[in-house]
Amino acid sequence: MAEDLVLDTAIRDWVLIPLTVVMILIGILRYFVSKLMQSQQTPDAKIVKEGQVVVRARNLRAGANFIPAKSFRARRAYFSNEENGLLHVPKGQGQNPQAQMFSDPNMAMDMMKKNLSMIIPQTLTFAWVNFFFSGFVAAKIPFPLTQRFRSMLQNGIDLSTVDVSYVSSRSWYFLNLFGLRGLFSLILGEENAMDDTQRMMQMGGFGFDPTKNLSAEKDGLDIIQHEWALPKFEQRAEAVLKKLVS
Amino acid sequence: MVTKTEETQLNRLENQVDNGGGGAWEYLCMVRKLKVRRSVKVLKHGLLILNDSKKRSSLGPEEWTLYEQVAVAAMDCQSLEVAKLGGMRFFVLKLMQYVICNLLQDCANALQKKFPESKRVGRLEAMVLEAKGSWGEAEKAYPSLLEDNPFDQVVHKRRVALAKAQGNLTGAIDLLNKYLETFMADHDAWRELAEIYISLQMYKQAAFCYEELILSQPTVPLYHLAYADVLYTLGGIENLLTAKKYYSSTIDLTGGKNTRALFGICLCTSAIAQLSKGRNKEDKDSPDLQSLATAALEKEYKQRASDKLSVFTSGFKSLKVSS
Repeated sequence: MAEDLVLDTAIRDWVLIPLTVVMILIGILRYFVSKLMQSQQTPDAKIVKEGQVVVRARNLRAGANFIPAKSFRARRAYFSNEENGLLHVPKGQGQNPQAQMFSDPNMAMDMMKKNLSMIIPQTLTFAWVNFFFSGFVAAKIPFPLTQRFRSMLQNGIDLSTVDVSYVSSRSWYFLNLFGLRGLFSLILGEENAMDDTQRMMQMGGFGFDPTKNLSAEKDGLDIIQHEWALPKFEQRAEAVLKKLVS
Repeated sequence: MVTKTEETQLNRLENQVDNGGGGAWEYLCMVRKLKVRRSVKVLKHGLLILNDSKKRSSLGPEEWTLYEQVAVAAMDCQSLEVAKLGGMRFFVLKLMQYVICNLLQDCANALQKKFPESKRVGRLEAMVLEAKGSWGEAEKAYPSLLEDNPFDQVVHKRRVALAKAQGNLTGAIDLLNKYLETFMADHDAWRELAEIYISLQMYKQAAFCYEELILSQPTVPLYHLAYADVLYTLGGIENLLTAKKYYSSTIDLTGGKNTRALFGICLCTSAIAQLSKGRNKEDKDSPDLQSLATAALEKEYKQRASDKLSVFTSGFKSLKVSS
């Protein structure tokens, strides 16, 4: 298209800026609501202990060469023997997370709360944007883009003749939804940033199984070769002292 | 763990605050964040803020955190002050205790009024009881707190401290063992346990704890040194050989600056020689480690305490003869 579209300044004042402000306010509101809804959950004793066991086993693996062979073997047996080792997970006892979720209503409740705080405002704002601002060309970005960006920037406008650098209001909404993370981390503090993309990742990563962690750690311990590092230290100490004395 | 940069930053801030340069609140925040123990300073500067109603209200909700921090610092200071005043008259001490107790009560009351149901305040009150020396009441208060939240590490540790303060070392060991069963990656607890074991002369158990500490922080020379000490105390040719190795690792890690490790090497070598007499088993790994350690010690003595040099050389002659 040869001629440029002229955007009414009223569009800037009544569409672009309100939309942005509303998105920011909703983000902040959602942060506080989700903070309010967060239930004080007491961690499960087993999970706390498993976490600590893993840390200690990792320490053992990393520092194995610093303790005498006898001590190392005793510890390895303590962690990974087949009868009652701390890292040993009896077969069939590894609860799958799905079952765990259903057995613990609190967990399902928590998930639901998280989902609700994410989905409800999103659908509402989307409906709102659709209702009031559908079909607007809300902004123009100052550089040209290729045709591939059309679906990203001109959602809701089905005209192939409009230049790609024009942004539709619905697309502006999506850009805000995903792009305000940096702003939120400024306003709400670093770790409080509400990030939808991260949320989604968490959802995908759900169903993480702590017992897998244990058995992985056990395998790591089993294959480790103990090679006491201390005898070497005598020579090194000698070298240090020689330098010191001379 | 406090890193070096954080420490220098903290010291700079402390210096600034001490000289009236402002930034007291930042300093207190930093102390809280790094969990360092500077109770005297915290008490002094925290009280200055708390007594100034304008400054206090400007903190907003953080005011209550400050109350808690100052209360804990005051409790800590009581014991520190008592230790410092050791030689002074009894009555000064009592006065001090009285003042601090009042202050504590004030802090606890203010918090109690604000958060009547809070567990954190409950914990603080139990600690006040403990600081006042009413062991019985404190002992009752802690388990009820644990019922609400069985994973409150501070309460667990307070219980251990309480048992230790009453002189009930075996009780403290039991509690610590129970705590470590769950929180087994807490190396400070392992260290405490090791020290209690040593004071009860249970060296084998202490050695286990020190191994655990070395595992969690393999580059801290103090753990190597303590482990070597324990092994040397246990005795036996095998333990002595191991002890010598750990003394040498301490030397390596400290760059030969640790006098205790140098002495340890000398003592270990002579003890080993005594035990393996007749077996004619020479130490092939490091034949001149002992002579080097002695030379290093001699140099150290010459530099730092030349008047003690004669004592040192005569003392070492007897060692040499036996080896």
